[in-house]
Amino acid sequence: MDSKVAVVLCTCGGTLQLDYESLRQEIAKEEGVTGVTVMDTLCQSEGLEALSQILSDVDGRVVIAACTSQKLQPRVDNSLGQGRGLNTSLTHYVNIREHCAWVHPDIEEATKKALDMIRGAVAATRLAQPLQVASKAVDAHVTVIGGGIAGIEAALSLSSLGYKVTIFEVTDRLGGHIISLPVIAPTGKSGAELLSGRLEAIEKDDNITVMTNTRVKFVEGEMGNFEVHYLQGESEEENVLKTSAVVVATGFREFKPTEMEEYQYGRNPDVITQFELSTMLTEGRLQRPSDGGPVKEVVMVQCVGSRSEDYKRDCSKLCCTFAIDNALELIKNDPDIHVRIIYMDIRVPFENELIYKESREKGVDYIRGRVSMVWRENDKTRVRIYDSLLNQYFETSPDLVVLSSAVLPPDGLYELSESLGFAIEYDGHIKELYGKLRRNETRRRGVVAVGAVTRPQFVSEAIVEAQAGALMIHNELQGGSVEKIARGALLDVDECVGCSLCAQQCPRGVPLMIEQTEAEESQTDSDKFLFKASIDILNCHACGVCQSLCPTGATQLNFLTNEQLWDQIAATLRDAGPEYPITLCFHCEECSVSTIDIVGTRRLQYPANVRLIPVPCAGRVSMVDILKAFEHGASTVMIAACETDRCHIGGTGNEIAQIHVDVAREILNAIGWDGRRVDMFRMFSAEPERFIVAVKEMTERAESLGPTPVHKGTAGRWMEVSE
Amino acid sequence: MILSDKVLIIGGGVAGLTAAIELADSGVKTVLVERQHTVGGNALDLYKAFPTDDCFYCFEASRFRPGIRKCFYRSALLDHPNLELRTNTTVEAVAGSPGNFEVTLMVGPQYVDPMRCIMCGLCQKLSSAFVLISPQCQPQAVVYVPDQADDNVKEAVEKCPTKAINLEAQPTEEVIRASDIVVATGYHEMKPVGMEEYHYEELPDVVTQLELARMLDPNGETSGQLVRPSDGGPVKHVMMVQCVGSRDENYYPYCSKICCVFALKHADIIAQEREGVQVSVVYMDIRTYDRHERYYRKSRRAGVNFIRGRVQTVSKAKDGGLEVIVYDSLLDRYLKFRVDLFVLSTALEPSAESNEMAQMLGIRTSNGFVASLDPTSGDEVIVGDHVYACGTALGPAEVPESVTQARAVALKILQGRK
Repeated sequence: MDSKVAVVLCTCGGTLQLDYESLRQEIAKEEGVTGVTVMDTLCQSEGLEALSQILSDVDGRVVIAACTSQKLQPRVDNSLGQGRGLNTSLTHYVNIREHCAWVHPDIEEATKKALDMIRGAVAATRLAQPLQVASKAVDAHVTVIGGGIAGIEAALSLSSLGYKVTIFEVTDRLGGHIISLPVIAPTGKSGAELLSGRLEAIEKDDNITVMTNTRVKFVEGEMGNFEVHYLQGESEEENVLKTSAVVVATGFREFKPTEMEEYQYGRNPDVITQFELSTMLTEGRLQRPSDGGPVKEVVMVQCVGSRSEDYKRDCSKLCCTFAIDNALELIKNDPDIHVRIIYMDIRVPFENELIYKESREKGVDYIRGRVSMVWRENDKTRVRIYDSLLNQYFETSPDLVVLSSAVLPPDGLYELSESLGFAIEYDGHIKELYGKLRRNETRRRGVVAVGAVTRPQFVSEAIVEAQAGALMIHNELQGGSVEKIARGALLDVDECVGCSLCAQQCPRGVPLMIEQTEAEESQTDSDKFLFKASIDILNCHACGVCQSLCPTGATQLNFLTNEQLWDQIAATLRDAGPEYPITLCFHCEECSVSTIDIVGTRRLQYPANVRLIPVPCAGRVSMVDILKAFEHGASTVMIAACETDRCHIGGTGNEIAQIHVDVAREILNAIGWDGRRVDMFRMFSAEPERFIVAVKEMTERAESLGPTPVHKGTAGRWMEVSE
Repeated sequence: MILSDKVLIIGGGVAGLTAAIELADSGVKTVLVERQHTVGGNALDLYKAFPTDDCFYCFEASRFRPGIRKCFYRSALLDHPNLELRTNTTVEAVAGSPGNFEVTLMVGPQYVDPMRCIMCGLCQKLSSAFVLISPQCQPQAVVYVPDQADDNVKEAVEKCPTKAINLEAQPTEEVIRASDIVVATGYHEMKPVGMEEYHYEELPDVVTQLELARMLDPNGETSGQLVRPSDGGPVKHVMMVQCVGSRDENYYPYCSKICCVFALKHADIIAQEREGVQVSVVYMDIRTYDRHERYYRKSRRAGVNFIRGRVQTVSKAKDGGLEVIVYDSLLDRYLKFRVDLFVLSTALEPSAESNEMAQMLGIRTSNGFVASLDPTSGDEVIVGDHVYACGTALGPAEVPESVTQARAVALKILQGRK
């Protein structure tokens, strides 16, 4: 190997307590190192200027040992990469500030740690391959499934950004639920009025095609190249539409409480749901369904099916406001009508509180309690109500009993999820990519969900979501010409054995299994795989989960190959041994690097005999990588990862890491080691102590478990097997 | 309209930051103005976020910092080629016309150049006039507090390795042109001074939920220890009261929407992570919408005591704690409690900046919050001609709602440029 690596050491303005002279001497001895430069302020214009010279001298193969790469790398990339056109993709970073000098007051120990980690980075840099910008053209076409308010708004928003849109609607008209709502808070308008302008705009828009009476059967392909298979009308003939992204906006389903004996819904015609009352009001036919008589007294029951262990555990959010909207509408039509609302908690957010107040002033009776039963007596509907404030029961004879029943996910989501690859939340709605910041993206790249299909929401919220969802698609498709640095998993098709582990476990659903049409005729056994994986690197999120699971090394991150990581492990652990037990810590470059950085920024301290190796996601670390660490002399190995459900890569990379750790522990136990030598810890940057506790635990284990079989030269056969 | 026309975003909280990053990523030159020395807004002090229960410091990644999300400290805002971040800066006046605004900015003295500060800590060791607001602050730079200046500040200036400090810095006025303005001026947690029954500010053990969040935060002043502010004594019983200033004709008639979840999140943390502390919540209606119901279920299971009613009085008890008298509307009687910490879930009120911006821009308000131009359109984020708003400037909102609104704003601005 003849690639030359330059090493730059920064002293942070001369403030870091490290032995720079010994670092310089030791690193200069490393194989492949062509020069070591010490700078005082690498991040400033003078430093960046000097760095740009070094970068050009060694064709970008530079190891930068300075402060956290989380701050420095963007600056180097933007000022020298974007700014000067230098390729900075080969550069590796070692944090000798937050991870060494700031946390270990013993200069010798801190310097030793810095040296080992720089050696590791040099080894990885020697094998690095430059990354290039890649581009592809995709159709600027998006498919919207569902023609309610969210789907309509999404289509209009996408069209305005220049995309062609096809809306698939399962019924015979656009408009969804809201077309039947007599009044929508806080707009004061009816659903039909709110829709009319938008429906006209769709009519006039040449970019938007509406297909009613159409059902999506399944979807194939991936972002940029989906194929939607659909059926139209009564026909059984399957049609196919090519599209680059999919918006799921299939709305919600109102719970029909036929199973709830106490309400007699479905048996007593005068017991209806809140949405059925809305439809009656919109259509102007308010009467007792049983006999067409007038409606003078109404009992509304909140939380029917919601906040219930038997049906839907959560609150449906909209029902209180819906009930009050309808109560006010009833009073508007007939000021003498008497409306009672039976509730547990009235939940009206922000200014909806004001219509709650208005309804109280206009005479709506609010009774905190529950309806215990509904029955017919002398051709009248009777209701028995428990009032929890007065702690007593009373009975009344309303003309209508209106059930504010739960908002449920729409039908057909599980079927759609099978081919569209989005995850489903415990309540049956579509699960968001990340609840706080990525609400409208789903696990699957190129599939966005907006409106009530993600959770019950008000009309105004659904409109905003649809607009935001359109932007998320625009961010991905970039108007049809996608261009970015090809940084991610590269697949060597010849090595692929078609096991499909990558396709099953990729947190973002990127790898596809492609049928090999020539496999049948092939003569040699190794070519007889019916399916092989295919990965579009421009869709890849670069976590490395596929790499850690791939049994043959067919898929590898182009910036962190197996060989690179193994060389890095070996070089980092060169001085590890029974006299100097080392804990090797693989940490993800998301929550874990933050936690470890914040420990440094706060100048907290922890044992120095730990060495850190960054990986993009903990899911990149395979059981082989863990065993390699032991092979090269680690006493204990720890993985620092994000919290459960908070993985930055679609939510599952950390759980894949957990599996690797658990299996590695089993293997150690099976071959006569102590499985406690490997463990996984969850990091959280708001609680930096977590990292300190974890390091203390693993360095103490290294101490108490003593030399490993590798140190003692008694290691078993597993090492030979891995060779 | 050409893409090089700048967009001005006022307020660097969750909403403003998201709008800024989305626009800058789409190639729009964006100026983000923040009154404080760091972006993050209220989120910087909130510790754990709902609905994800992780820390509040993470926020949208950018095209130049790819990923799903990044912490504030590593969001590299200063290095984004399309983003100009102006901290310690306020908007003084707006002139010009929609599509071509002339905005006068008052840029506070920039004592420490954030591009030069390397956070080495040297100045902090020399003088307490140099502070790091938070390890997560953005820009990542030390702040100089003139009031704290001592004899050592000169030495700090001389020894600063990057010569980042200039104590002679003066405030400057600057006029910029912008095609669009985004109001993201956030909310303010109401401080219930003068509400007689609670004695806030008179009794140190009466605090607000935001103040409690600081106490629970391991990075906060008490390192996460729950102690009585009055005497540092142990906290055995925490009582929270909901709807302080909200749903109240004398203060704010609206529901502040997120206080129930906010309170129950804290109740859960205390009940599950602090040993032997009893929590009670006094409420009118518990409003945990949608999946937030989980917090209510969890806290009931964890033994949090819920009392439907109102607090009558709070007073100092003889042993150093507080005595609280509560009217329980389910039992229809008055109850007396002895508590160590009394936490007020106070209203989210419009920030003073929202008010100023509304006047300067001549936009509608509703209950003091910025209101949409045409409330009947369902287009919440459009508040004027070439003027948009997102986040809690529009009214109480959760983090994900603020983010979603900010993206809707970015979409509307991009639409206008097609």
